[in-house]
Amino acid sequence: MPSATVITRASALAFLACLAGPAAYAQADAAPPSANAAAAWRATSRLGYAPTPASAQAADATPRAWALQQIDAAYAASRRPPAIPAELAGINAPLGDIARGFYAEREARKTRREANKPGAVMQNANAGPEKFSREMAQDAAAWRLMSCSDPALENPLLARMTEFWFNHLNVFVGKGPVRPFVGHYVVNVIRPNALGRFEDLLLASARHPAMLLYLDQAQSNNRGINENYARELMELHTLGVNSGYTQKDVRELARILTGWTVNLRDGEGFRFAERLHDKDGKVLLGRTFGSEGVAEGEEAIRYLARRPETARRISTRLASFFVADKPSPALVDRLAATFTATQGDIRAVMRTLVESPEFWAKDNTLFKTPLDFACSALTAAGGVKERRDIVQTLGFLAQAGQPMHGWQTPDGYKTDAGTWLAPEALTRRADYALALAQRTPEPSYLNAFFSTATRERIAREPAQLRAGLMLASPDFMRK
Amino acid sequence: MHSNASSIPGLLQRRSLLGLGALSALSLAAGVPRVWAQAVPAGRQGLDSGRLVIVFLRGAYDGLSAFVPYVDSDYYAMRPNIAIAAPDGTAQTALKLDKTFALHPALSLLLPLWQQGVLGFVPAAGLPAPNRSHFDAQYQMEIAQSGKTSSSPGWLNNTAALAKTSAGNAAALGVGEANPAILGGQAAVKLIPRGQSAERTGVLANDRTRQALLDLYAGDDKISEAFRQGAGSRMQSAQELTMQRTQRAEMAAEKMAGKSLDRDGTPASPQAQTAQMLAASNGAADPVGLQLDAQHLGTLMRNDRRLRLGFLSAGGWDTHANQGAVNGQLANNFGNLARGIAQLRQDFSEPGDVIVVMSEFGRTSAENGTRGTDHGFGNAMWLIGNRVAGGRWHGQWTGLARSNLNEGRDLPAHHDYRAVLAQVMRGTFALGDAQLADVLPGAKWDKRLDGMFHKA
Repeated sequence: MPSATVITRASALAFLACLAGPAAYAQADAAPPSANAAAAWRATSRLGYAPTPASAQAADATPRAWALQQIDAAYAASRRPPAIPAELAGINAPLGDIARGFYAEREARKTRREANKPGAVMQNANAGPEKFSREMAQDAAAWRLMSCSDPALENPLLARMTEFWFNHLNVFVGKGPVRPFVGHYVVNVIRPNALGRFEDLLLASARHPAMLLYLDQAQSNNRGINENYARELMELHTLGVNSGYTQKDVRELARILTGWTVNLRDGEGFRFAERLHDKDGKVLLGRTFGSEGVAEGEEAIRYLARRPETARRISTRLASFFVADKPSPALVDRLAATFTATQGDIRAVMRTLVESPEFWAKDNTLFKTPLDFACSALTAAGGVKERRDIVQTLGFLAQAGQPMHGWQTPDGYKTDAGTWLAPEALTRRADYALALAQRTPEPSYLNAFFSTATRERIAREPAQLRAGLMLASPDFMRK
Repeated sequence: MHSNASSIPGLLQRRSLLGLGALSALSLAAGVPRVWAQAVPAGRQGLDSGRLVIVFLRGAYDGLSAFVPYVDSDYYAMRPNIAIAAPDGTAQTALKLDKTFALHPALSLLLPLWQQGVLGFVPAAGLPAPNRSHFDAQYQMEIAQSGKTSSSPGWLNNTAALAKTSAGNAAALGVGEANPAILGGQAAVKLIPRGQSAERTGVLANDRTRQALLDLYAGDDKISEAFRQGAGSRMQSAQELTMQRTQRAEMAAEKMAGKSLDRDGTPASPQAQTAQMLAASNGAADPVGLQLDAQHLGTLMRNDRRLRLGFLSAGGWDTHANQGAVNGQLANNFGNLARGIAQLRQDFSEPGDVIVVMSEFGRTSAENGTRGTDHGFGNAMWLIGNRVAGGRWHGQWTGLARSNLNEGRDLPAHHDYRAVLAQVMRGTFALGDAQLADVLPGAKWDKRLDGMFHKA
C-alpha cells in the first residue's frame, strides 16, 4: 500500500448528532395566507428548495427584494469555502489524496481476488481501502442532501445553482474511476463557479478528472481519438443539438482536445500531454485553430461558450428550471441578451430572470422533481439530523428514478412535469414523506402556504400523522 | 367527471365484452379501413389480439458485436481489438447462426430461440437520416417522427389509444422510467418502478392514511388525478407481484424438496427447509436487474389481459472506450439483456406476442483509438415471437466494405425503423393502413421486409 494519505474516515455520519439542535418552529397559527404567500412560496421553493420559518417570513414581507438579495448572497457564498462537516471533508481533499485512495482500493481488490482463488480464506470484500470509492460517493451524496436542506450549512440558492450546473455538466458516479471524484467535482468545479462566468465553469469542468474520465477524454490522443467528450461538449454543454455543427466539427474538436488527460499518480488531476496532442491544423465551425498546445483547447472551449447558440441554450435551460417547463421565447431572448452582453455572467442572467414578470406569473407553474421533493421535505424537517435521513432519502431518490449523481448519460435529469408527474410516483412520495415525518415536528409554518381544504383535512388527523400528510399533500408537490 | 361515452349503454356493454376477451369479429367491423379489412383474419384486429413488448437499449448498443458478420474480413480488419472471433464451436467465439451472422456468446441463452425459429433480426435499420445525438435520436424514435422539438405523444401511447379499454384503464405498462417519451400522451398508461420496490404497497396499505391521502387528492387538477390513479394501480400491482413471488418461492421449494412438506405446508426436513429458504432468497437465483423487471412486466400483463403493450429499457450501452469483446463491459450487458429477454419469452410466447429490441442508432463500424466505438448510424433490430419468421434475418445487408458504409464509417440504415415497426404492428395487431399512419406517422410500407412475419 502506498504511504498513508488514504483519507481516513471515522464511522460514517456519527457527527450528525452534534449538528444544529432541534428545530424550533414558531407555532404559527394557521392564519389565512397573506397577499404575498404565493410569491414567497414560489421564491423560496425555486431559489432554494423550500421555505424555512425564517425565510418564509422574510420572503413573505418583500418577495422580490428577498429574491434579488438571494443572488448576491449566493454569489458571496460561492466565493467562500464550503462548510463541509468534518466527517465528509474527504470529498474536498486534494486530488492527489483522492487518487491515492483510489489506487489503494484497486490494489486491495486485486490482492483479494488473488487471495480468494480456490483454497484461500474468504476475506471481507467491503473492508478498509476497498470501501474507499463507495464511501466517497456516499459522502458526496450526503453533502448534497445536507446542503440542500440546511441554510446554516449552505446558501439555498447556491445549492440550487449547484444542482442546476451539476446536472448541466453531468458526470455519472457509477462509472468506475469517476466515482471517488464526484464530490470533489461538485465542490471545486460546480459550486465556486455556479454564479460566475459560464466559460470559467465550463473550463473547470473540462479539466476535472471526473469529466475527463466520464466522457473518455482522458484516453483520447493523437494516435487514436475518442469523440465522446467533444460531441457532448457541443451538443449538451454549449451549442445544442440542432445548432448546425457537423460530424466533421466533432472530429476537429476531438483533435483540438487531444492530449487533455489526467495525471492522478502525481496528484496533479488534469494534465496536458504535449506528446499526445495532434499538432496539425484544425477547422472548427469555420474557424482555424493552430498548433498552440493546451491553449488551443482552452480557446476552443471559450469560443464555444461565447457563441450565441450557447447563450440561447443556457438561457432556455435556466428558464425551464426556474420559471416554467416551456418558458416563453421572450423570456429566453432577454436572458440570452444578458448572457451575451455580460460575456456569460451567470449572476447577471439570474438577476434578469428574477426581475422578469414571468418568474412571478402564477400561470408559470412547476412541479417538484423527486430531488426537489426530497430536499424540500428535509428542509421542512429542519435539515438532515441523523444517518437514517440520508439513507432513506437516497433510497427514495433511487427508486423514484433520480438517484443522486446517478444519471448515466451526459444530458442530465429532466426537470419537467411531463417526466416526473406519474401516477405511481406520487404514491411513493407519500411513503417517503410519512416515513421521514415520523421523526419530524409538525412544520406548522407551512400552513400559511396551504389551501384551506388541505389545512382542514389534515387538522382532522391525529398529531402523529399530520407532519407526514403536510409533506405528502398536493400543495407540497408544487414549487 | 365521466366521459360522455361511458354513459351510453351500448358502449359499456361492448367494453365489458372486450374486457372478457369475448369479442366477436362482427363487433369490430366498424372503423376498420376497408382495404385492410379484407385481409384481416377473423377475430384478429386492433389491440384485442397479440401483445407487444418493446425493449429499448438506451445509449446505442453495438449491434456488430451482437450479430457478428463473421465472414466479413472487413469486420476483423476494422476491429483489431474488439471483434468477436468467428465461430469455432467454443464459448470463446461467436455462436454460428447462419452463413453470414453469428451470435455474441454472452447471448447464448437466445440461441435456442433462433433454432426454434422464433428469433429473427433486421441487421441494418435506423432513423431515416443519421443523427448522432443519443437524446435527439431517442426522442425521435420514441415519437416516431423526425425533427419535432415540441412535445409529441409517444408512439406506444398512440398505440395504446387504439385499445378499447374503458376510461382510465391502461393498455400499456412501462417499467423503470418515470415517464418515458414513448409512453407519453393522452392514453392512460401504467408505470411501475424497477426492482423489488414494485412489490411494495407502502403507506397506502394503511386504511386511515390512504383515506386521508385520497381526501387530500380529491381535486380535479392533474396532480390529484394522477395520485388517485396511482393509488389504485399501485395497490393492485404490488399485491399481484407479491403473490406471484410467494407462489414462485413455494413452487421452487416444492421442486427442490421433492414435495416433502408437512400437512400445514412447512418443509418436513431440514433439507426442505433450506430449499425453501433458498427459493425465497437469492439461492434459487431470484432474478435481478432486467430479468426481475421482465418478470414483473410478464406477471402484470398476464394478470390483466387489457395490458397489451409493454415497455422496458436498459442503459449502459454507450461504449466509447474498452468495450471488450467476448468478455468485458459490453459482454456483461449482453448477459443481463439475454436473461431479461429469456424471461420475457416465458411470459410472451402466445401466438400473437412479439418482443422487439431496438436502440437509437448503431456504433461506428471501426473501433476507435480507445478500443471502443463512437456514434454511428444503422443497427440491428431484434424480433422474437411465434409469428416472427425467425431463424433468419430480414432486409438488406451490404457488409462492411468502406464504400458500402455511411460516410465511410457506419453501417447504413437500409430500413427505416418505422418500416420494421409497421411490419410488427401488422403482424401482431393486424393494424390497418390508417391506424399505422396514426401510430407511425410518415412510415412507408417497406416491401423488402415482407416475409418478416408468418401469415396468420
